[in-house]
Amino acid sequence: MDISWADRWHLFHFAMLAAACAGLVCPLLGSFLYLRRTSFYGIALPQFATAGVVFGFVVLPWWVARIGLGDLSADAALGEPHAAMNYHLVWAAVFTFGGLSWLDFLARKSGRDVGRVAAAFAIASAATILFSRMSAVGASFVDELLQGEVLGVGLHQFETIAVLLGLVLATFVIFYRDLVLVSYDREMAQVLGVRVFRFELLLTIVTGLTISVGTMSLGPLIVFGLLVLPALAARPWARSMTSYLLLSSGFGLLAVVLGILASFELDLPMGAAIVAAAGLELIPGFVFRRMRR
Amino acid sequence: MSDLLRLTKASFGYAGKPTVAGIDLVIGAGDFVGIVGPNGGGKTTMFRGILGLLPPLVGRVERLTSAVGYVPQRESLDAVFPVTAEEVVQMGAFGRLNRMRRLSHEDKALALESLERVGLVEQRRASFSALSGGQRQRVLIARALMVRPKLLLLDEPTSGVDRSAQSRILDLLVGLNEQGMAILLVSHQLLMVRDTVRRVVWVYDGRVEHGDPAEMLKPENLDRLYATIERDAPGAS
Repeated sequence: MDISWADRWHLFHFAMLAAACAGLVCPLLGSFLYLRRTSFYGIALPQFATAGVVFGFVVLPWWVARIGLGDLSADAALGEPHAAMNYHLVWAAVFTFGGLSWLDFLARKSGRDVGRVAAAFAIASAATILFSRMSAVGASFVDELLQGEVLGVGLHQFETIAVLLGLVLATFVIFYRDLVLVSYDREMAQVLGVRVFRFELLLTIVTGLTISVGTMSLGPLIVFGLLVLPALAARPWARSMTSYLLLSSGFGLLAVVLGILASFELDLPMGAAIVAAAGLELIPGFVFRRMRR
Repeated sequence: MSDLLRLTKASFGYAGKPTVAGIDLVIGAGDFVGIVGPNGGGKTTMFRGILGLLPPLVGRVERLTSAVGYVPQRESLDAVFPVTAEEVVQMGAFGRLNRMRRLSHEDKALALESLERVGLVEQRRASFSALSGGQRQRVLIARALMVRPKLLLLDEPTSGVDRSAQSRILDLLVGLNEQGMAILLVSHQLLMVRDTVRRVVWVYDGRVEHGDPAEMLKPENLDRLYATIERDAPGAS
């Protein structure tokens, strides 16, 4: 039976809008990660967030018994995981910020090292699997997240992602110049008296927030895909920093639209379809670069 | 002549270990000083100390003006950033963004004026990484001019550029100096320094000597200084 686009919109508009928010904002952050040569954070940190979500499921019965979760019982929270979304979001944030602080601390101490980020990814992946063995509900919830099947996103999740990613967007709009300066020429920023630590901390907070809320709502695959691919696709076309950030965001949004269309028309998981669309966006830039040589 | 920078018995180094020690140096308005010396002698460490990027281990560093322009080595800037020449120059005013973190109209105009001063206003929309080495260096000088500096600090401003670009950069620096701007540059190009600056600070083996460039950079003096370095080097007999 064919479903009309009006029905699809009626049924899944929260999922579509949440994906659009991520498509708009994740590439902005991804552009900074790419320019700062920390794109691998984009793969390691969503995995930390995922491990945090499963860990939340593992300790949920203990948490409800000792601390409480509003009016929710442990059975209700486990039976309908979306009911305890804020609880899971907090665990995703705790693990993301923990992983990010650890990587930043090591980078400050002994320089950036891709191998260290890869090791962090391996550890977070192993932790996700081990925690999954301790909570069957957590394992099934995370399986859904890993598949990138986002159609179940409801009003509360959409509101959360819209508000938090809206804050991230506002941060980029307001502090764009400061973030560019500390990323491009840290020493110059220090000489000019710009509070470098403050803006690097802001970038860390924005990174942790985007990744934790994105992973919890849409899954690690979409977040990683939208952090890395639009930023790469936009680079060959960009003539200035402003155009680069606008193009990244535009490519992200376009990937979401194409992914949603492909997912409904070809009956594909939405998350994977969005990331595949973002991957296809790399081709024109690649051809353009080859032609310019 | 009013002093702009004063170092008194200053030592700089890393992890509490001095790389260069006992520096007494005063830079006044209109000075043109070159810091020279062999690689590893401590000139970069001293320069970072003067910039305030490295606190002194001992002694005092007094920057008596806030109008200090800084021109880094252009290789330190990552070409992956898609920035235009104008965007790079405007960064020089990011230390005084308004409350909405925006550039004022005056600063936007000043960026164009600075590009004009270094002869690159036509290339303002060009990608910074696509410019030649000499042009990039001049863009960085234009960026430093955004603070309306009384003292301009440059790290190897003519390294890795061809002769014509080198002379263009030096002409620009001489012109700025003639307008009253004090200039302090670090370089390993001794001939260039000898022919341009009015005072030399020779940094070698963690020590500092001052003098007139023509006198200090005479072949016999260079022979003496390098002989000292070789004599003091570990493993020398």
